[in-house]
This record gives sequence, structure tokens and C-alpha cells, in this order.
Amino acid sequence: MLLMIFILSVPAYAGAPTVALDNTVNRVIDVLRDPKLKGPSAKAIKTEKLRVIYKDMFDEMEFSRRTLTRNWQKFTPAQRKEFVDLFEKVLEKAYLDKILDYSNEKFVFYKENVLSDNQVEVQSKVITSSKEIPMFYRMILKNDKWKVYDVVVENVSLVQNYRTQFNEILAGNTPEQLLETLRKKVKTH
Amino acid sequence: MKTYLSLIIGCIILSAGNALSPCWGAVTMQTPADVSSSRTVLTADAGQIPSPSSKQQENAADDPYGDENSDYDNDPLEEESVTIADPIEPFNRAMHTFNDKMYFWMLKPVARGYKAAVPEPARVSVKNFFSNLKFPVRFVSCLLQADFSGAATETGRFTINTIWGIGGLMDPAAGKELDLRKQDTDLGQTLGVYGVGHGFYIVWPFFGPSSPRGLVDIAGNQVLYPLSFLNIWYASLGAKAFETINSTSLRIGDYESLIAAAIDPYVSIRNAYIQYSMKEVKARRARSLLFKNAEADHPADVPQPEQ
Repeated sequence: MLLMIFILSVPAYAGAPTVALDNTVNRVIDVLRDPKLKGPSAKAIKTEKLRVIYKDMFDEMEFSRRTLTRNWQKFTPAQRKEFVDLFEKVLEKAYLDKILDYSNEKFVFYKENVLSDNQVEVQSKVITSSKEIPMFYRMILKNDKWKVYDVVVENVSLVQNYRTQFNEILAGNTPEQLLETLRKKVKTH
Repeated sequence: MKTYLSLIIGCIILSAGNALSPCWGAVTMQTPADVSSSRTVLTADAGQIPSPSSKQQENAADDPYGDENSDYDNDPLEEESVTIADPIEPFNRAMHTFNDKMYFWMLKPVARGYKAAVPEPARVSVKNFFSNLKFPVRFVSCLLQADFSGAATETGRFTINTIWGIGGLMDPAAGKELDLRKQDTDLGQTLGVYGVGHGFYIVWPFFGPSSPRGLVDIAGNQVLYPLSFLNIWYASLGAKAFETINSTSLRIGDYESLIAAAIDPYVSIRNAYIQYSMKEVKARRARSLLFKNAEADHPADVPQPEQ
């Protein structure tokens, strides 16, 4: 039975990026299901473990730069570093609880589109008891490792979404002001 | 007493206008997206993509905080960037705030209480039931889009789910054996398929993000959505309010994390709305007999210039 699930979740045509993603999902689920990590006290440990997996899988530099595009030039190197750090914290705050809420959703990877020499899009869907959510991961190959740089949820690309926001904010504000907004966002509740 | 009752009903209705939550009308209400059609689109995308200057990217990786970013400006996926004109932004922002408050202060508490009282399978059945009633809109839209296989699928689904799915409470047609997927489409998308653009962005109170093109949906629902025919006006509105509360109860948390992740929630939702709707229209065009082959030459929904 276990073998069956494994076969179903990774189709035969799956390439390296899909396999990498599938491994990551399984690692995340292992952490979330770990019977030793039950109760509110274990939340911090879980979070720490998830953070390690996230860093391993997600190319936050690529992500940040794609959201800023030309605006990247307006930032000093120190500001850039702070931006990447803050951005990561914003994402963690927004999605951590959702991930910790995990309750037996199924992840099915069904297609891999080659976008360029070193970029692919892995198409998947998350199946919950009441719905299916299409989720595409755009990945890039760097140093022989496939990492995610954009997630497209229900047809909405995160990179594009943030790019629009940053473009608008930076059209009227300085990078410092944007950083201040991010700092506030990380601090509140 | 009667006045109070109607006031309360009025409040529920107000709080529950179809897709009140600012983004759902656009982004997440139509959940079971047609997998096969979006696949078609993305494959088409992959076909046109020129390979980027990947060498430069590798160089950039050496000094991650470095300056050179030329490759990020002509990224292969950049062409997907879409915007929508927003000439009435101050009004829209006010409506966005209003809808946001209505969600957190009224709709969400009600949906939460309902969620606690009614088990999930029952709520899924209610969702299926209402979805089944929307068959006429989807069927007519498919026909108008010259997507005849979609129209046939919808007819099959309606027949099977109404008869074997106990009046639409269950969705046996979507099961593995039959695999008839819901054709999630509407009249606004139909106009989009024929090249009608959004015009501009408008946030309705209660209804959420839309555009002048979306007006056709509101009009169409009056004619094609059976709930609109209920004789007594408050029965019709009450049923729609119930539908909204039910569907919200299945998605509590989605809107919250969208807002939490956004730096400027208003801009984030506007962009999500336009991204979602453009890709849906593209997917519908790829299914239409009239446009199947022309899809590559005439991008649907001509993007509006950024204000």
C-alpha cells in the first residue's frame, strides 16, 4: 500500500525537479506528523525544522530579486540583505500557521514543463477534502540543485504579485520606507 | 417584530453578497479549476519562451547581493506580467477597506459559527448543490464560447449529479470513472474570449473585485441562476446569503493569509484578480473551437497600461 502511494505521487516521467519537490513535501509532512512533536510546546521545534527545509528548497535570493527587478539597483547592499531577510520573515508569518494546520491534504505532481535550460515549472495540485488547488512551482537549477523561486497558486504567481506591489510602493517611496513597512509587518502580532 | 426580522435578514444578506470577501470573487471562488485547460495554456507558454541568458544568472549567483540584474528584466516569464487600469483607485480602496471590515466583522464570525455546527461533508454537499444549480450559466457560457465539448460535459454533469447525486448534493460525475470536470466559466469570461478587455478595475461593495465587463455576470445571474427566480425576494436573497456563508466556511483562513502575506493588500488583491482572470480567459480560448489555433497570435484581454 505504501509503495502504491509512492508510485502514485511520483509519476514515471518525473524529472529531477519533481523528485526534489516530492522529497521536500515528504520531509515537511514527516515533521508535521511526527508523534513526538505534539502540542503547543513543540511548535517552536517544528518551526525550526521547517525553516531548515525551507532554506534548502526555496531560493529566496532569486525570489527577492525577481520581485524587485530594476528596483534592486535602488537598494544599497546592506538594504538588500535586510530586504531579503525581512521578506522571508513576512512569508513565514503569513504561511506558517497554514502549514502547521496540515491535515492529510494530498500533493500530486502531475507535469513538468521546461521553461528554459535551467528553469522548469512543476505542476501539482493539493487535494483537500473539499477542493483541489492547482499549485505550480517554478524552479531554477543552480550549482546542480533545483530550487523553487516562484509559486503559482490558482493561477496567481507570487513573484508577479509582489512585483506589482513593490513597483507601486517604490514609485513613491524610498527603499528605506519600504524596509520600514516590512519591519512593521514583521513586528505586529 | 417583523421589522426586526427583516432587518436581521437584511444584515445577513448585506454581509453575504456573493463573494463579499474582497478577493474571492476573483481568485478563489471558482476552485476546481479546469486542470486540463490550464495545462494547455502553460504548455503553450513554454513553447514561446526563449532561453534566457542563464550564464548571467549564474554569475549573479556568485555575488548574491551584487548589482547586475539585466537578466531579471527580460525574464522569459515576464511577458505574463499583467496590469489593469485603476482610474478610480480612491473609491476602490475605500470599498476594499469596507469589504475587508465586513468580512472580519460579519461574514467570518457567522461562517465560523456555522462551521462549528455543521460537519464538513454536509457543507461540501451544500456547496455541490448550489454549484449544480449554476449549470445554466456554465452551459450557456460554454456554448457562446464555441466550447461544445465543455457544454456537453456540463450537460452530462448536470444530468448525472441531479439524478444519481441526489439533486446535486453529491458530485459523482467528477469521480474517477466518469471524470467529468466542472467547466468553471461565466459570461464575463465569454466576453473575454471574444477579446473584450476588462476596461478598468472596480471594487463593488459586498461583491468585491470586478470590472465593467463583470456587469454581464450580474445581469446573467438574474436570468440564468435559478435562485434568482424564487418568488419572494427575501427567500432568494436568503438562499444566496446561505450559499455565501457555506462557501466561506470551507475557506476560512485563505483570505487571512493572503492579507497577511501582502505588503499592500489592495494592490495584491487587484493583481491576483487580474492574473487569475487573464489566465482563465486564456484557458477558455484554448478550448474554444473558434480560437484554438489563433490563441498564440491574439492574446486575450489586452493588458491595460499601468497608470
